[in-house]
Amino acid sequence: MRRALAVEHLKLRRSMVVVVTTVFVVVFIPLLCVGFVAIAKSGGAGAAALKAQAMVVGEGWEAYIGVLGQMVSVAMFIGPGMVVTWAFGREHSDRTFPSLFALPVSRRSIAAAKLVVLAGWGLALIVLLLLGSVVAGLLAGVGPLDGVDLVPRLARLGLAGFLTALLALTIGFVASVGRGYLPALGAMILLTVMAQISVLFGTGGWFPYATPGLYALAGVEGIPEVSVLQLLLVPVTVGIVAWLTVRWWERAEVV
Amino acid sequence: MTETVPIEATSLVRVYGEERAVDGVDLQVNAGEIHAIVGLNGAGKTTLMRMLLGMVRPTAGTALIDGHDVTADGSDVWKRVGCLVETPFAYPELTVRENLWAAALLHGVGRARIDAEVAKAIDEFELGHWADRRSRVLSLGNKQRLGLASALVHHPSILVLDEPANALDPAGVVFIRDLMRRSAEQGTAVLVSSHHFDQLARVAYPISLLHRGRIIGTLDPDGHDLEEEFFDQVYRYDRERGAA
Repeated sequence: MRRALAVEHLKLRRSMVVVVTTVFVVVFIPLLCVGFVAIAKSGGAGAAALKAQAMVVGEGWEAYIGVLGQMVSVAMFIGPGMVVTWAFGREHSDRTFPSLFALPVSRRSIAAAKLVVLAGWGLALIVLLLLGSVVAGLLAGVGPLDGVDLVPRLARLGLAGFLTALLALTIGFVASVGRGYLPALGAMILLTVMAQISVLFGTGGWFPYATPGLYALAGVEGIPEVSVLQLLLVPVTVGIVAWLTVRWWERAEVV
Repeated sequence: MTETVPIEATSLVRVYGEERAVDGVDLQVNAGEIHAIVGLNGAGKTTLMRMLLGMVRPTAGTALIDGHDVTADGSDVWKRVGCLVETPFAYPELTVRENLWAAALLHGVGRARIDAEVAKAIDEFELGHWADRRSRVLSLGNKQRLGLASALVHHPSILVLDEPANALDPAGVVFIRDLMRRSAEQGTAVLVSSHHFDQLARVAYPISLLHRGRIIGTLDPDGHDLEEEFFDQVYRYDRERGAA
């Protein structure tokens, strides 16, 4: 497993997809949040201002963290989803999959190593996103920090973001079974849409792909409280997906 | 004590739907032997090699490497095997050196020896000029050289090569021929498929003729015209099958 981890880590470090996604999430998302707060504060009546005003609730850091909460679940699913699509789909699209046979390192270990490395990168990504958001908020002068209980809010977003990144590993299973990028991208869109629909119908708490998003927005008017049981369904889902992925890699043939 | 056969297939069958891609192949490759498989496109060469490397499960029959069942994923027996089937081990985002490092690591080379083995492979396969460039910029021929270097970086005692001369220039073809000969002289069991009759005639023995998933005969490497002998056997087989 350590050998597989070292190789998967090297591939991840050298990937342009990973670099672009990391920069996009860590830089673009905080800037977007700062932008939304600024537009909402400007009080204009244009389409962008109206949209921003609908998203921004409260003042200063409260408002800023609220917008970030809405962004985290989407950014941490789409961003890691793209990287997971690459990590698993590329073995088929680049025709490197046959190279992973006839090795003393099992394909089970290689698949598990991919999952571990991607989970580690997902954790680093959410930490960097939160740090980037704090820095962007301070630089943009979002508001005074006095009286703002930032740490628990950021911890909640951190957990929600990390759980979302883990859920994105589902895409790796689809990329494996579908042997390429397209089925994985289709699954990513489908799961995103299904999460939105489940929230609209009020059943989002029980749909693991929507749960972290609702957990991130706890306390916001109209957002249902997420129970511990609902939250626990997320790691259970991730565990099942990870097991299925490793199992597929163990049994798969070259076609 | 009986020695184990490096590569052994017994009544190997692989069926895809109605198609019997490999139809009861018996094959042995002994240490120090270069055993060539020749056949037309679709004869079953790649499927046979895939089965011998655990890439595809046999529908029936057994495939053994050094006496071990090839369907066991991650078995230590693979430390003794090098292969180039399908595309070369060449991740485009990694440099030539990094690709070889990854191949050595995955083939079980001890960490302390990896850098030295990688440097040796770069030198032996004349990849020095490209060593620190990403493999995506390599020509097809150099990618193939990298694939061969990756297959041999751990000094395997069993070598399985599917059309190894693909994309290689004449110098590359001579290189691969010498490489196989040197490997066999050191006791490596080599199984190779190729369309280059001339290349095989100079190094391989035996040469098995695979047609419609079956081994229908052998070719004599010292024979007058391998190509003519090949087509004679293929047409004779098809005529007899058609008449039956």
